[in-house]
Amino acid sequence: MTDVTRRKIFGAAAGSLAGAAAAPVAAQPAPRDPADVDLFVKLSAALTGIAETKLAPAADPVKVKNDYYDQAKSDPGFAGLMQIIRADPSNPAAAADKVVNNADAKIKFLGRSIILAWYLGAWYPPVVLQQPAPNSPIPPLKVISSAAYTQAWAYRVAQAHPMGYSELRFGYWSDEPLRLTDFVA
Amino acid sequence: MTDKKSSGLHWFSPTVMRPGLALAAVGVFSLGALQWSVHAQAPAAKDINPPVANCNVTPDTIPDPADPNKRIANPIVAGFLTSGQPCQQVVNTKGLVSDPLGNLQRGFDFYSWLTFIALNSPADGKTVIGQGPRPGGDATTRWESLANYRQLADVMLDKGVQPTWGERIVPDACKALDGPNKMIVKLGEAAWNQPFKTGPLIDQNGNYAVFDILMNQPMFDFIDQKGLYSKQGQERFDSDVVFPLGNNPNASNSTPGRMGAVMIKVSWRVLDPEKDKALMAKFHTVDALIYFPGPPATKTGPTCVAKTLGLIGFHVGHKTLFAEQWAWTTFEHVANAPDEEQVAKKTLQPPYSFYNPGCPTCPVNQTPPDPWDPPASLKFPTNDKSQVVRVKMLPDPVLQEVADLNRQFRALLKGTVWENYMLLATQWPSDHASKTDCNGSPAPTFLANTTLETYSQGRVPLASSSCMACHGNATTQHVPATPSDFTFILEKAQCENGNCGAPAAGKRPAQALRCGLAGQQH
Repeated sequence: MTDVTRRKIFGAAAGSLAGAAAAPVAAQPAPRDPADVDLFVKLSAALTGIAETKLAPAADPVKVKNDYYDQAKSDPGFAGLMQIIRADPSNPAAAADKVVNNADAKIKFLGRSIILAWYLGAWYPPVVLQQPAPNSPIPPLKVISSAAYTQAWAYRVAQAHPMGYSELRFGYWSDEPLRLTDFVA
Repeated sequence: MTDKKSSGLHWFSPTVMRPGLALAAVGVFSLGALQWSVHAQAPAAKDINPPVANCNVTPDTIPDPADPNKRIANPIVAGFLTSGQPCQQVVNTKGLVSDPLGNLQRGFDFYSWLTFIALNSPADGKTVIGQGPRPGGDATTRWESLANYRQLADVMLDKGVQPTWGERIVPDACKALDGPNKMIVKLGEAAWNQPFKTGPLIDQNGNYAVFDILMNQPMFDFIDQKGLYSKQGQERFDSDVVFPLGNNPNASNSTPGRMGAVMIKVSWRVLDPEKDKALMAKFHTVDALIYFPGPPATKTGPTCVAKTLGLIGFHVGHKTLFAEQWAWTTFEHVANAPDEEQVAKKTLQPPYSFYNPGCPTCPVNQTPPDPWDPPASLKFPTNDKSQVVRVKMLPDPVLQEVADLNRQFRALLKGTVWENYMLLATQWPSDHASKTDCNGSPAPTFLANTTLETYSQGRVPLASSSCMACHGNATTQHVPATPSDFTFILEKAQCENGNCGAPAAGKRPAQALRCGLAGQQH
């Protein structure tokens, strides 16, 4: 269920990312509760289908999770969304299912926004996702941060890299492409 | 507390005994047997990364006597001043904080301080750092001794000539000025222009800052043995460039410690022994002969001028096991420039070498107007001076951890020139075996020295300074170009006999340094 929803959203929005303007991360982010961030990552893993340890490795110098957490926290549906995973942290898959099928549109579409954030590094406001213009791509509000631009999972799933930013060695374009499992497994 | 035995601490790698390490151990002993058996037939090839008897394996934390499941800080004591140079980092995911990344970072930063102390100890190998004969206990350092390190200009020689380890080269223009303990600094663009040709750094006296690059013997020997000291030699080299790794001794499989490749980049400011007399005990200094070789390297010259130089920046790159992308240490003089917070809060502590507190409206971190080529006086031709501010590039926990280490190590060095130097941080690969991030996910993501990456401070991917993201792009002069294992040194190789000719089209090695470098050993 979540997979189908994710693909639909992904397909609708993918064409719009390149035109989004990068926005700076807030200079003084609000204090975060580390336990809350961990729960957010746990839920994100279930929503995206990407392992928790891939989204937020134990030794994680980039910590893009904080950028996404801060962005999501600013949405009115955040408290309700986190309440779902807090109710049963041991079953994030069930929590994700409750999020994407939630009767409360604020929670349901925030879940979709979080999926898009991880895959595209961009923020699609839930209210915009809720009422998309027919037959046209949904424009993102912004690229969430410079780190988000480099870490967007869509590129890894496509065995590629964002424009202007590659972590591969000089001349990689003449080598055999890496396997998908090298990126996402 | 100094633990000179193999510590047994686990690395952050998920597999402690990696296949590469096991293979290396086999290689060491089989090579030894081979050398013995064929000794009568042919001279054994020189071991470019020989065993080191005294690797410093001091950890930054030790088990808590009250609770074996916890670790506490290893007290920073005077014994560290003579504990030697680490061959590899000793780090642990467990430590003083809950975040594994923070504990690993502290281990690398602790390693950087031990490395700084070892490399800047007196060259005689006996005197303790800060106990030398010059003001502030200064002395010629180990890295300034020809026995230990060699300047890049003496490796990549004119006409691609093969260099000789330990040979001091005195240009004709400098011979009349030469004397004991004089360091010759050969100017090329890299000696006064910042990375990516972003411009020179001009101090508050209007003098150019000067940069120099050096390498240790394992790195030199690799270049020498592979013939990489000339452009044609690099074209002939159809293999991967893989410099040797440093590793700690491993008692469990009798693997000896090895130092591996180390490269150093330093920055200097000009000091006037009379006008700057009060500063002489606050800087490590060297009596230098600045050699201007003339066109095309410098517009001025050939000529040579004598200058007293004060150390303002100190980079160390060390290739080690589990840090095949190298570990990148950077120190700088505490009076180079204020940081952003000091400027904002008006808590300046002048004087600064590169900041004028009396000019709050001067644009900061801007390159001076060109032309940039330095004259023999090393005075910038206009009144422009660099107004440098240290940009906040590191996460708060790293800044706090580094400040704490600096406070303790600088206290050890109190009363010496060396108390005036501070660690900025160490950049290291948090995922060294990644197949998709050849830079190994550098931690911290960005790092800069105010004197060596002045104009690329910041936190913008690719645009702002990151040791590994930048050096990961370095290539050889092979055609087609091949990765040069995180060093730009090979770009300085010159054409044999001055004749470059048409490059012979070579082939790209089949495994040209793809990601997942674990196990590469020499």
